[in-house]
Amino acid sequence: MRWHIALGTLSLLILVAVFGYIAVGEQARMQSFTEAYDARQIETGASLFETHCRTCHGPQGKGIVGVAPAINAADLFNGERLAAVGFSGTLTDYLEGVISAGRPVPSAGTNYPQRMPTWAQAYGGPLRKDQIESLVVFIENWEDRALAEVGAAPSAPSGTPIGTDITVSLPEGNADQGAALAQGAQGGCSACHELAAVGPPWAAAGDTPGVFVRASDRINESDYTGNANTAQQYLIESIVQPNAFVVSGYEAGIMPQDYAQRLTAQQVADLIAYMESLP
Amino acid sequence: MAIFRLHLPILDEIKEKGLRPALRDKTDDIVTRVTAGLSIQDVRSMLRDDPPGRPNPRLKPHSEGFWLHMKPTYYHNLVDGIYPTFRLGWLSTFFFVVEIVTGVLLMVYYTPSPEFAFTNMLDILSNVPFGRLIRDIHRLGAELMVAIVMLHALRTFLTGSYKKPRQFTWATGIILLLVTWLLSFSGYLLPWDQLSLWAVTIGVSMVEAIPPEVVGRTVNLLFRGAPEFGANGLLRWYLLHVVALPLAGIVFVGVHYYKVVLHGHSLPPDAEEVGEDTARRVPTDSRTYFFPHIATRELFYVVALTALIVIGALFVHAPLEPHADPLVTPLHSTAPWYFLWLQGMLKLGDKVIFGLIVPGVLIGGLLVLPYVEVGPSRRYGSRRIGLTAGLGLVFTFGVLSYMGSPWFAVQTSPEQEAVAELLPQTHPGPLRLADWEGFTVGTYEASAYDQAPTETLRSVLDEFEGSIEGIKIDGRSDYQGVIVIEDWQTNLKKLTLRILWTDDVTGKPGEYSQTVYLHKDSNYGQGE
Repeated sequence: MRWHIALGTLSLLILVAVFGYIAVGEQARMQSFTEAYDARQIETGASLFETHCRTCHGPQGKGIVGVAPAINAADLFNGERLAAVGFSGTLTDYLEGVISAGRPVPSAGTNYPQRMPTWAQAYGGPLRKDQIESLVVFIENWEDRALAEVGAAPSAPSGTPIGTDITVSLPEGNADQGAALAQGAQGGCSACHELAAVGPPWAAAGDTPGVFVRASDRINESDYTGNANTAQQYLIESIVQPNAFVVSGYEAGIMPQDYAQRLTAQQVADLIAYMESLP
Repeated sequence: MAIFRLHLPILDEIKEKGLRPALRDKTDDIVTRVTAGLSIQDVRSMLRDDPPGRPNPRLKPHSEGFWLHMKPTYYHNLVDGIYPTFRLGWLSTFFFVVEIVTGVLLMVYYTPSPEFAFTNMLDILSNVPFGRLIRDIHRLGAELMVAIVMLHALRTFLTGSYKKPRQFTWATGIILLLVTWLLSFSGYLLPWDQLSLWAVTIGVSMVEAIPPEVVGRTVNLLFRGAPEFGANGLLRWYLLHVVALPLAGIVFVGVHYYKVVLHGHSLPPDAEEVGEDTARRVPTDSRTYFFPHIATRELFYVVALTALIVIGALFVHAPLEPHADPLVTPLHSTAPWYFLWLQGMLKLGDKVIFGLIVPGVLIGGLLVLPYVEVGPSRRYGSRRIGLTAGLGLVFTFGVLSYMGSPWFAVQTSPEQEAVAELLPQTHPGPLRLADWEGFTVGTYEASAYDQAPTETLRSVLDEFEGSIEGIKIDGRSDYQGVIVIEDWQTNLKKLTLRILWTDDVTGKPGEYSQTVYLHKDSNYGQGE
């Protein structure tokens, strides 16, 4: 019995000591968990961005001309964009609101025919609140680098634009360069034609052949309204005069109208070589 | 004339006896009331371990008090040692109390709603002083309680203590085993992380198999609250966990304890004649009285075990996986360990037979065991068949549990398994735990791990190579592992794990890849 009382007293002292030890480190522990969880949210946000946002806002959120604006951009973080849309809350609120509820109208003076869809489950979208929050902290984590890029020289125009003549003779195309152009921010084609089906998918699917084969079939179809005589001309026409013929089931005006001024003949040739190489 | 008169009898006594004697008598009176019958003198002599007077005043708290009605006044010396009880029943009760205390504390910070539950967990970990400790103790205590209750049942079986007259005690014990399982299991859903959702989804999907189909569907719906787990399902499981099951537990613990006191602790099997039960006829020289010996010892146990479990909680942390997502089934998600045997049986075949009928017959059989197995002898030597069957059941439990684990007959692609070794979906794993600074941007081949620039990369690549070497699929060869590390954002790196191979027939290359983003501060080493 004496041993029990002695050991019990000793245990009580140990218990008090352990509680004291925990109490001393508790503030630091809570702090460290908070930091770690914030960091893990950025990780989650990064993978959500790749799945849901990259298709339109481009790799690294640099935007795709004519599809969706850059969010990895200085004006988002220095307050200019918030001022432009007349938003008086914080950036976090703005991002959360726009991602959750979408954008019914584009910002003034911009040309983005597609609307930002609603993403939060509360607005009929697919994402939970904590996922939206993860996306917001991921986007906000661009701040340092986006602001640091201000003043960096804009990339120089890369040559004479191709114009709207579809009979132009093209140089030899390079499929790899075409792929890089299609998937990068400058071309931005893959956002709608590969990753999402906003425009007709380029790749073959089921009985439908790839885009190049379809092009050579289509010019002979009765409902074709354009002027192309070869598959190559059809593809040039689709890029530089997107409304000359719109495949049934897709809307006119969605495809950006300014590729004739933005792309060189070499770039169009690369793109077509890339399309031809697709299965 | 006063409106009311305050009468303090102590003042009269002070007037009559003087201050000190009056206060001493009053204190004695209070102590006697609180201890339900022991005066200060009795308490002092008890603590000095003097022989008790006659009649023994130390029996009064048992006969006059409420709480000690639950405790025998004395134990047979033969059941006072570690053998034959191993204190397992007492330990079960101890952990039940620990769970109630920590559970009530956790309830303060918890909202049973899918919108808040997971955030509540984060708050408990990041914003509640001692929050993680309480959660860890609750979780650790729950796992220990399940194990102890199961061992308690096993011990009772082995010593034959379920036999007449203790049949009903055994039956309530089996009910308490079920309550314990369900208590622990129902707690799984509450954090609303991936572990919660999928462990419980696996468990509940079994009831769906109850025939006829309409019953299975209805019961399934009752447990889920909707075709998919959501707000209603969480609320139901929460109420089961914090109200219904604890109440059932308290009621049956009461019955169980009452029966134990009524029949006495059964003696070791060879201590009495076959067919006799002498637990209630304890010779005076073989008694160990509750006061003071057992009481001080149990008090010591309480303090020492509390200290042990708090220290244990410093090292064993309750896991918290990512937020529950009904669309993403994590690779290798399993039922809790004590239900792995069920999951193992389900792999044997038909859901109705192996998920319902066999477990149902087993549990039902355990419940009525003492009413069916009526052999009079409790001695080990006369129960060879019974003991062999019992140990066979324990062995089967072990084998089935192994079969329930992901290592047995789970069909996923070997490439996926190889990547999951570095990047598991149910716990952090080597890649997330590795030193972030060591992930130098670049492309690395697993086979050339010894040429990687940092120690971190060398060990990660070595492990990757090891798991790729284990892949064997007919018709594919030339397996190769590549890790691509990209600088993605400030303090954020993107790691892509690629496994490449060549198809032997067509000669075409194949690829499996998985991507993970790692932040400098994500600190997965904290144990959650």
